[in-house]
Amino acid sequence: MNSITTTRKAIQSGETTAKEVTENCFNLISQEPFNAFHEMWNDEKQAYLEGPLSGITVGVKDNIVTKVGTTTCGSKMLDGYRSPFNATVIDRLIASGATLVGKTNCDEFAMGSSTEHCAWGAVQNPWSTDRVPGGSSGGSAAAVAAGLCHVALGSDTGGSIRQPAALCGIVGYKPTYGLVSRYGLVAFASSLDQIGVFSRCVRDAAITTEVIAGFDPNDATSVEEEAPCLVESLDDSIAGIKIGVTRDFLTDRNDPEVNQAIEDAIKVYEQLGATIVDVSLPLTDVGVSTYYVIAPAEASSNLARYDGIRYGHRTDKVGLDLFDLYSHSRAEGFGDEVKRRILLGTYVLSSGYYDAYYNNALKVRRLISEEYASAFEQCDVILGPTTPTPAFKIGAKSNPISMYLCDVYTANTNIAGICGISIPCGFAKNDGKPLPIGMHLQGPAFSDAKLLQIAHAFEQATDFHNQHPEPIS
Amino acid sequence: MTTITSSRVLIGMEIHVELATESKMFATAPNAASPKQYDAEPNTLVDPVVMALPGSLPVVNRRAVSMSMRVGLALNCTIANFTKWDRKNYYYPDLPKGYQISQFDKPLCIDGVIEIGEDQKPVKIIRAHLEEDTGKLGHELPGGEHYDGSLVDLNRAGTPLLEIVSAPDLHSAQDAVAYAREIRDICRYLGVTEGIMQKGHMRFEPNINMIITTDEGATHATPIVEIKNLNSFKAIAGAIEYEATRQVEAWLADGKEMGPNAKSTRGWDDDKQMTVMQREKEDAHDYRFFPDPDLVPLTISQEWINEVNETIPELPASRRLRYQSEYKLSLKDAMALTAEPDLCNFFERCVKQSNNGTESAKWLLNAGAKYANENKCEVNNLGITPQQLAGLIQLRQENKVGSSAADKLFGMLCDSDQTSENVAKENNLLQVTDSGAIDSWVTEAIEAQQQAADDVRSGKNAAIGRLVGEVMKRSGGAADAKTVREKLLQQLQG
Repeated sequence: MNSITTTRKAIQSGETTAKEVTENCFNLISQEPFNAFHEMWNDEKQAYLEGPLSGITVGVKDNIVTKVGTTTCGSKMLDGYRSPFNATVIDRLIASGATLVGKTNCDEFAMGSSTEHCAWGAVQNPWSTDRVPGGSSGGSAAAVAAGLCHVALGSDTGGSIRQPAALCGIVGYKPTYGLVSRYGLVAFASSLDQIGVFSRCVRDAAITTEVIAGFDPNDATSVEEEAPCLVESLDDSIAGIKIGVTRDFLTDRNDPEVNQAIEDAIKVYEQLGATIVDVSLPLTDVGVSTYYVIAPAEASSNLARYDGIRYGHRTDKVGLDLFDLYSHSRAEGFGDEVKRRILLGTYVLSSGYYDAYYNNALKVRRLISEEYASAFEQCDVILGPTTPTPAFKIGAKSNPISMYLCDVYTANTNIAGICGISIPCGFAKNDGKPLPIGMHLQGPAFSDAKLLQIAHAFEQATDFHNQHPEPIS
Repeated sequence: MTTITSSRVLIGMEIHVELATESKMFATAPNAASPKQYDAEPNTLVDPVVMALPGSLPVVNRRAVSMSMRVGLALNCTIANFTKWDRKNYYYPDLPKGYQISQFDKPLCIDGVIEIGEDQKPVKIIRAHLEEDTGKLGHELPGGEHYDGSLVDLNRAGTPLLEIVSAPDLHSAQDAVAYAREIRDICRYLGVTEGIMQKGHMRFEPNINMIITTDEGATHATPIVEIKNLNSFKAIAGAIEYEATRQVEAWLADGKEMGPNAKSTRGWDDDKQMTVMQREKEDAHDYRFFPDPDLVPLTISQEWINEVNETIPELPASRRLRYQSEYKLSLKDAMALTAEPDLCNFFERCVKQSNNGTESAKWLLNAGAKYANENKCEVNNLGITPQQLAGLIQLRQENKVGSSAADKLFGMLCDSDQTSENVAKENNLLQVTDSGAIDSWVTEAIEAQQQAADDVRSGKNAAIGRLVGEVMKRSGGAADAKTVREKLLQQLQG
């Protein structure tokens, strides 16, 4: 799969056509063995509107509503659900000429870090099919890694774009909260959710995000500012840029190969003329605990609408009173991880527990933001690993807490509402097969252009992003 | 045995006002409480936000915030410069999201006070906060046929709702009704609702308990009872009077007093004229309030408050006082003029044209009321304009029309867009005060009614009426009756 820029050039020079490019994608998707896609939208009458993304294929995470096809959030609760409206990002992609190729599988309601908790089956990592692609946007990550589409949309609440991007060896970018409209993203935790892009290179992420970003009157939390210019400054030199590195990220909780890859990345940046600064982020360790109070609290309320009354799964049992209609419909429609978080969230918001859990979590949230703010006084971005380990085996993390700890380096980005990106920075050797390692860069809120510029500089100086899993036949 | 020496009732009132904005509180769908939508078919005033479809998000309707500020300012409240939105979580089929967006600890309006009744008793307003209404559950199919299950209608879901909470400053059913009426009047004058009770534009929830004093000198407070969803003044009075008796009897029987977990909720049965238990303990529900993460807190600038403040008209209570002092109207007339905002505003325009509040009031409340009753319409919709009424008042004051002619003229002006003077002229309603003309009609009348003339000559003054009538007949009603009478007496009695 070529980059957006290469593909657009080829189409404009007449070497190929938008139709040919997309048909090739549909051909690959129809044979893919990873369970990356829940459904494919091969529309014979596709219009191929002229625009900056004409001929560019986009996979859509199954928790972003589209008028075409279904939106199921990987849940039996929404099996066959058809949205009467498009998410704002979908409208913007269509207007820019992009071809939406289908819905990618995800953890149910975006809750998970492995895409094993999907009602339509686990998704496999294209680098090693007995391993997870990460999650919750695992289908989108696997699709881009396997070259099934140019880019894919994901959503990131605590790492759900960056973590699977790291595990699949691609770029995963979570913009600053408020930069991209959430209208049409099925809410998991509204104060943390952000739509973002998977791609094979930083430039593609920048091009696609420019299309989808910008103020949306339908989302009260979207910022009332001009859409940012992200592509223009990509090639600017990063000489003199300050990169923060914290020992809090390079501990023995990580695989030694992960720590080594990060140490190597630091050297690359030094060679590019960046200054390395030591910063301290001691609250990294409480991020996951804070996240697992705030996110479930919001989720318990956001998911209350799935009551079987207006749409979605309703129990077949008859003669139930209202309470039992609710409880049977929800018990049958939701999977275990979703139920676990609804219970958790209901508990932390309950009278008598609110202050001890939810209110305290909000206080820690403020502290985390302040900690980032003081770190960013010393540096432009903070560098570290995206995940402690490369992709793990499907079924390996049966304990929910061990799964939750996959987000240890990414959750705080969402808690603080800042921007973050994961880019390929190395490979671990497992059973002779290479497994990608991701580098995580975080920048202050609305410094997205600089974040992408710094990520792009690394990418240009290295070759990790050009390595791909074996193509499907 | 304890003897009750006295008992008094304490009432705090929660009033829900549906704001008549064009669109809903957090959605662009049309608002069921807007007069344009009164006849909407079930489930037609909906959109993805109202139906809580996956991916939809709420956006605050700033018009609803402005309207609420207007009410808050009229109730002498402080407008919070920082206010936020909270979710009240519970499950019910008329609540599509599974939570209601409301304001929990940072209401928009706080600490107000209004005066009620003739003696201007102050009633404190604790808070007024903005939230969204729920949908409705029904059991009737279109056409009225009964349906065994429940039917959900989401037209009302998301209507902006202002909840005004008073302190327990009301001490009788009359107080409570006077307060409810005052709030309704204020809201109608502010134009935030038409206040049609049958449509549920306003719903009242009195919180009632009794303070009982015994012969031992001790006082006892009975548990607070909240009566849900009353929508008439009669029901408010009925429920309070019923509770005042029931609570004393209940206390004598079980001795239960006010305290934590002692609050209960009751409904009003209009047929049986009694309250009925709905829910024993208020805290049986844990609503898990928390700040709505889909909405940002609202900061309200002083400029915005000032801007809204400028849109507040003079309120009915102030108008009533002014009409009594400036125009020397009775309280009854002042009440009649302020009962309907449209009539009252029409009256104000008439006063502006005529510079005569007393006469304007007299005309609107007498001739106006009579013609309105005949035409089955409102006085302000009769068709007579403030300019025409001012003209009529002037003609009458200058004695250019007589009183019965003026009454006739009022009726004619309702169907004419001509000036009062022109209409009076065309219809020969102008009085003739020219003494030459009157003199000759008087002479003719005396000749025609000789018997009556003789009677008057011999001092039987009662007979003068026939002579005056004769002159009026000859003048086509245009002669000034007073002048005619004087001239007749002069001729016959010297």
